[in-house]
Amino acid sequence: MSHKLLDLINISKSYDDQMILDEMNLYIRENEFLTLLGPSGCGKTTTLRILGGFETPDSGRVMFDGKDITNAPPNKRALNTVFQKYALFTHMTIAENIAFGLKIKGRSKAYIDDKIKYALKLVNLEGYEKRSPALLSGGQQQRIAIARAIVNEPKVLLLDEPLGALDLKLRQDMQYELIRLKNELGITFIYVTHDQEEALTMSDTIVVMNQGYIQQIGTPEDIYNEPENAFVADFIGDSNIVDGIMIEDRLVEILGAKFECVDIGFGTNKPVDVVIRPEDIDLVPVSRGTITGRVTHLIFKGVHYEMEVQANGYEWLVHSTDMVPVGQEVGLHVDPFDIQIMNKPESEDEEAVGIEE
Amino acid sequence: MKKHITRIYMGLILFLMYAPILTLIVLSFNSSKTRAKWGGFTGKWYIALFQNDDIMQAFYNTLIIAMLAAAIATVLGTMAAIGMNSMKRRYRTIFTGVTNIPMLNGEIVMGISLMLLFIIARVNLGFSTILMSHITFNIPYVILSVMPKLKQTKKSTYEAALDLGASPVYAFFKVVFPDIMPGVLSGFLLSFTMSLDDFVITYFTKGPGVDTLSTKIYSEVRKGIKPEMYALSTLLFVTVLFLLILINMNPSDKKHAIQQAKELERLAAGGKKHRITKKLIWGRIVPILLLIIITGGGFYYGNRNKSSAGDQVIVYNWGEYIDPKVLDIFEEETGIKVIYEEFETNEIMYPKIQSGAIAYDLVCPSDYMINKMLQNDLLAKIDWDNVPNAVNIGETYYDKSKEFDPTNEYSVPYCWGTLGIVYNKTMVDEPVDSWEILWDSKYKNNILMQDSVRDAFSVSLKSMGYSTNSTNIAQLDEAQKLLVAQKPLVQAYVVDQMRDKMIGGEAALGVTFSGELLFMQRENPDLDFVLPKEGGNVWIDSWVIPKNAQHKENAEKFLNFLCRPDIALMNFDYITYATPNTVARDMIEDPEVRDNPILFPNDSQLKNCETFKYLGSEVEEICAKLWREVKSS
Repeated sequence: MSHKLLDLINISKSYDDQMILDEMNLYIRENEFLTLLGPSGCGKTTTLRILGGFETPDSGRVMFDGKDITNAPPNKRALNTVFQKYALFTHMTIAENIAFGLKIKGRSKAYIDDKIKYALKLVNLEGYEKRSPALLSGGQQQRIAIARAIVNEPKVLLLDEPLGALDLKLRQDMQYELIRLKNELGITFIYVTHDQEEALTMSDTIVVMNQGYIQQIGTPEDIYNEPENAFVADFIGDSNIVDGIMIEDRLVEILGAKFECVDIGFGTNKPVDVVIRPEDIDLVPVSRGTITGRVTHLIFKGVHYEMEVQANGYEWLVHSTDMVPVGQEVGLHVDPFDIQIMNKPESEDEEAVGIEE
Repeated sequence: MKKHITRIYMGLILFLMYAPILTLIVLSFNSSKTRAKWGGFTGKWYIALFQNDDIMQAFYNTLIIAMLAAAIATVLGTMAAIGMNSMKRRYRTIFTGVTNIPMLNGEIVMGISLMLLFIIARVNLGFSTILMSHITFNIPYVILSVMPKLKQTKKSTYEAALDLGASPVYAFFKVVFPDIMPGVLSGFLLSFTMSLDDFVITYFTKGPGVDTLSTKIYSEVRKGIKPEMYALSTLLFVTVLFLLILINMNPSDKKHAIQQAKELERLAAGGKKHRITKKLIWGRIVPILLLIIITGGGFYYGNRNKSSAGDQVIVYNWGEYIDPKVLDIFEEETGIKVIYEEFETNEIMYPKIQSGAIAYDLVCPSDYMINKMLQNDLLAKIDWDNVPNAVNIGETYYDKSKEFDPTNEYSVPYCWGTLGIVYNKTMVDEPVDSWEILWDSKYKNNILMQDSVRDAFSVSLKSMGYSTNSTNIAQLDEAQKLLVAQKPLVQAYVVDQMRDKMIGGEAALGVTFSGELLFMQRENPDLDFVLPKEGGNVWIDSWVIPKNAQHKENAEKFLNFLCRPDIALMNFDYITYATPNTVARDMIEDPEVRDNPILFPNDSQLKNCETFKYLGSEVEEICAKLWREVKSS
């Protein structure tokens, strides 16, 4: 996992004076499952289209295996794309769809037939050769689209929100399927999604993007547990983000109460953002709590209860397997290592500033 | 109850819409020549149709023009649609609007502007100009039917093909084209249909000797409707109907798409053989057949026209004013191809010559019109050394010609006669000797007038004792009032249909030319002709050569040929109008014809008659205006 397979260097792109990507730098290692995650309009799809060759950046270079492919057309790149809406050729059978790329490469008929069989087996659709794509379900169509891409043995597979059109159950099944495929094939996956759960489930590396800037790059655990700024924290999972003052190393004041934490190096009496995940707040008897509050809302979510607790002028979001009825007073306690301290952005612009590696 | 009413209403609407066409179809199988009675079922008009060389040539022209125009327009239109589809929204809207305008624009405007463009660009009107015009008006229809298909096509399928290694061209033909194929196909069929039944634009952009079915039908119908034309129109209707059904079977709805997908699956699963045959038929055999038809036709057409590309003479004459065999004999003897066009009135002929749109070599106008053409410097002097047979024309006729061709340098008399009244003896009891009878309300709806300014005015002027060449506005006004008063009695204003109607006994009295009598009497012996005592118009139709003629020598050769006594006699037998060719007249065997006082009136009979003179553009305009008022009153 050390070799830099793809390297985006200082990529900028804008449409009609609207900046989509600004001086972006990103590399992808061989055999990595990398996910570009962000809300719509963050530039993730544009990044993927630049990789696929469907867009040319205004400036910057795209390097593939050490070669500059910035201006190479899509049909001259050793990458294959799985499109958001499958983009199957409806006037061809499934076998013809899968054979499309191989025929262009001039492979023998026997080779192509073998590959079709192999690919259909890989996506669990054996025997579908002579069907028409128009009569398949969404999930089946998506698997055919993947089969059509992988028979070409690309070094990198680009997936543009491939599960976006599927229902929840199917989406979860397909997530496991994709992980399995990636492990079996041993190729690099670059995956675009706005669904944080999908990103956390499948990726080796997540790149969180917003308004054309990379916000954070890291493993799913890093991103979840140690968001580098409020945007990432807010975007990944549910969070309590509150204003705090770093009194000294390992001590932060939140809403007038002092909490122990593990962070150091922020200086003294410095305003900071504090992130506490809802499942990291323990509900304890009033006497043992750092602060005290009253439960205002209660919803049963299956695995846990979701509660809102009004304490020290802030509505805390709390996940707990224990139920506390609405109206009851409780104490709130947070373990020091569950408190995440972040620098406050110094200006409005910096809220979405790119953080280089 | 409500259901019944809607059904009856629907039925009524359909009946009103299709009754005319139904009539046409029924008549095309009627073995009787007249429309009035049913003479039993027959297919003979269809057989006659396919044996008529002119009509088959027009049929072939129509097909090849429609095919080529549709094919070229489809390619151009599809490319345009693709280009427009990838434009930015604002430009696309503008371009779509611009390409839609020709469809909404009046056909006549398009026809005239195309004709003007061709004249200015000095392109000779002919087959190629019709083709270019058809391509032009077809392109918007192709764009119109391809655009929505392109909009439906997802950009991602094209990108997916590129992504899988296809070049842009390969991706287009393999992935985009099958998706827009239904649109392209219906664009092609729509163009083919539009081209097939276009009349207006073809009429303006066609050259001499090239006819499509619609212009052929038009020129044939002007002379009197032959049953073959019903058959032809029926065939045209059926073809267009069939094509429209094909277009509307456009597989655009979703249901159809699923059906198609199932079909695809069935074919793929149910045996390769079936699929291969289907692929073979659509992929190979059909295109090859089309190609053979087009190229074969092209060669055939090219060969037919080869002679015309070389030595030719373009003749512009009145309808039914020459024995067709005469043309064949001339072509055989000289090897010069005669391209023959017909006109209905002097007034229709004149602007065609004046505009120079078509360079005719030999034209046969009437006296006053020759005078007008001469005054407007449109005529060339005839080289008499090339027309030695001109001496066969009687000296008296050259003398009479001096009224419009003072130096006898520009015209050679062809036919002459008087304007009078033809009447049906079984329908008119009293003796006919005056124009006044045309104002007798007893004959309401039984009177036919000539649909021509000078002839109509000459009837009413002469009935009051004025000159046919009167330029006195008061007299003309009076004459107009008389014509307006007569209008309620008149069944129709006709030109070439006079013959059919009088022969068929559809009217009692008709204003026509003396020469018509012989022909009409052959078909209906109850008819007779009188030159009214007030006198009328004595006219001469003569051959002239326009200044812009491109084959003047051939024109003179043809003119010389027409003056040959045996040929003039043939034409006399066919046209039955008096011939000024005295040698030919002496050869007429039947003395009753040779000395017929109606055909060849003597000077005392003609004492009250006058030749038309050109009245000058001012009076001419006044007359035209007065005449328009008569017809619209």
